[in-house]
Amino acid sequence: MAAIPREKPTRSGEARAEFARYKSDVKTRGKPFFPYAMFHDTIMSLVVVATIIGLAAIWKWSSWGPHHDPTHKGLLGPIVDPPADPGTTSFVPRPDWYFYFLFYLLRIFKWPESVFLGTIGIPTIALVLLIALPFYDRRLERRPSARPVAMVAAVLTIISMGVLTWKGATAKEALASEVIQDVPRWIQQENLPPAAVPGAKLFATAGCTACHTYAGSGGSNLGAPDLTSIGTRNLGIQFQINHLKCPSCVNPGSPMPKFASLGETRLHQLAVFLESSKGTH
Amino acid sequence: MATPRRQPTKAQIRHQKMEELVIYPIDWLEERSGLVGGIRYFLFRNVPSDVNWMQTLGSAALTAFLVQAITGVILAMYYVPSASTDPATGKPVAWESIVNISDHLTLGWLVRGMHKWGASVFIILMFLHMGRVFLFGAYKYPRELNWIIGVLILLTGMLEGFTGYLLPWDQTAYWATVVGINLNGTAPILGPWLAQFLRSGQEIGLETLPRFYSLHMLILPGAIIALITLHLYLVVRLGVTSPPWSKDAAGGEPVEVEEPARRPGLTRPVPRTANGAAMQAEPGGRD
Repeated sequence: MAAIPREKPTRSGEARAEFARYKSDVKTRGKPFFPYAMFHDTIMSLVVVATIIGLAAIWKWSSWGPHHDPTHKGLLGPIVDPPADPGTTSFVPRPDWYFYFLFYLLRIFKWPESVFLGTIGIPTIALVLLIALPFYDRRLERRPSARPVAMVAAVLTIISMGVLTWKGATAKEALASEVIQDVPRWIQQENLPPAAVPGAKLFATAGCTACHTYAGSGGSNLGAPDLTSIGTRNLGIQFQINHLKCPSCVNPGSPMPKFASLGETRLHQLAVFLESSKGTH
Repeated sequence: MATPRRQPTKAQIRHQKMEELVIYPIDWLEERSGLVGGIRYFLFRNVPSDVNWMQTLGSAALTAFLVQAITGVILAMYYVPSASTDPATGKPVAWESIVNISDHLTLGWLVRGMHKWGASVFIILMFLHMGRVFLFGAYKYPRELNWIIGVLILLTGMLEGFTGYLLPWDQTAYWATVVGINLNGTAPILGPWLAQFLRSGQEIGLETLPRFYSLHMLILPGAIIALITLHLYLVVRLGVTSPPWSKDAAGGEPVEVEEPARRPGLTRPVPRTANGAAMQAEPGGRD
C-alpha cells in the first residue's frame, strides 16, 4: 500500500493541527459547561438584569420635579420629552449616546468639501476593517504580549471612540435664548444694515445655530458650514429662499432639514440677513 | 439451586411507575426529535477548565437581548405606532401612548425604563464582548465566520437603536431621525433610495412611524435572532477558546501530546480506526 505523501508543514496545516489538539485536550481534560461555566454566566446575567432594573429605577425616581412634572430632567434625563412638532425649527438634533462618535465626526468634517468623509467614508472604512479583521490578521499567535500591532491598534481605536463619544456628549448646544444675546454684536461686527436685523434675530431663534456657526456663535454640528461671510458668495436672495425651503433640491445630498414652514416673509428676512453677511471686520 | 426471587414491594413498584411516567415523555421527544440529546450535549460539553470571567460577556449580552425581547413584547401591547393627532388633546397618538405607559400603567415605567436602558446595556455589552474576543485572539482560525456574524449582530443592534429612538415621537427623537435619515441620504447610489425608503416619501410623516415600528419589532429582531442562533451554534460547534495565556488549550498543566492526526475533512480521506469505524469527521461532533 502506497504511503500517503506527507504534506510539508503549512500555515493552514499548523492551524488545523493546533485546533485538533485543542479539541482533544478540552475533550479529555476540560470541564463540563454545566454547572461550572454556566454558574459564572448565571451570576453575570443576574448582574446585568439588576443593572438594567437599577437604571430604570434611577431614571424614574430622580426625574420627578417639584410639581410632579415628567419633563423634569433627572439624573438620566426626563421621562418624556415634548411631543414631536414638525413645525418647530428650534431643535438641537441629538442621537442616542452610542451614535455620538458618528455625530461628532460631523463637527470635524464640513459641508460640502469633506462631509462625505464623516457621513459615509470613515464609518464604511471602519466597518470593512472590522469585518475583514480575521482575514488580514492571519497569524495564529493569540497572546496579547506577542501581538503588539493588534494591541496598539485596539488601544488607539478605543481611545478615539471614547474621545469622540465624550466630545459628542459634552458638545456645547447653542440655545436660542443665549444666541439671541449675540445679535447686537453681530450687527456691529458684520456691519449689518437695518433691513437685515429681523433676519438676524430669526437666525438666532429659529434653530439655525444648532448646526451653523456665525461670527463665533452657534453649534457647528452635522457638517454644517460657517455662515459668517456667506454673503460674499453673492448667491442671491432668491437662491437663499429656495435653499431654505428645500436644501437638498438645491444642493443634492444636503442633510439640512427643510425650513419651508417658516413662511415667505420670514424666509425673505433670513435671506436678506444671509446676503448681508459679508464677514466680520 | 435458584435463589427464590423476592417479590418487589409495593413502594418499589410505585417508584418504578413514577420513573416511567417522567422518562416516557422525555424518551418520546428524544426519539422523534433528538432534542434531548442536543440539550444534553449543549450542557455537558467540555469547556477549557480555566475559562475566564471575561468570557461571560457574551452570555451577558444575550441576557440583555432577552430583556429587550421580553420588555419589547410587553410594550408592543400598549404602544400605538400612530403619528396622527388625537383630536381630543391635540397631541400625537404615539406620544400619548408612551405617556400612558410611563404614568398610568402598573409598572409601565419599569418595563419602558428597562427597554430604554437595556438598549444601552446591550450595546455596551456587545462592545465589551467584542473587545474580549479581540484580546483573546478568538477571531482566528477556525472562528473567522463567527467574528463576521458577531459584527453583523452589533450592526443590527445599532440599527435597532436607531429605529427605536423615533418611536416615542418626541422632539429629540423626531429631529434626530430627520437628520439621521438625511445623513443616510448622502451615501452614493443607494443613499437617496434608502432615505426615501426609511421616510416612506419625501418627508417624515404619518407613514414613517409605522415603517420604523415594523423595522424595529419585526424585521430587525428577526434578523438578529437568526444571527444570534447561528452565532451560538458556531460557539458550541467550535468550542470555547481558552485564555491565550493559559499554558495548555484545555486549561490545565501542559502534558506531552503525541503528534496530532491531520484534521480529516471533506477533501481528504477520513482515517479509520482498527475496527473500521470512521473517526469523528467534524471537530464539534457529538461525543
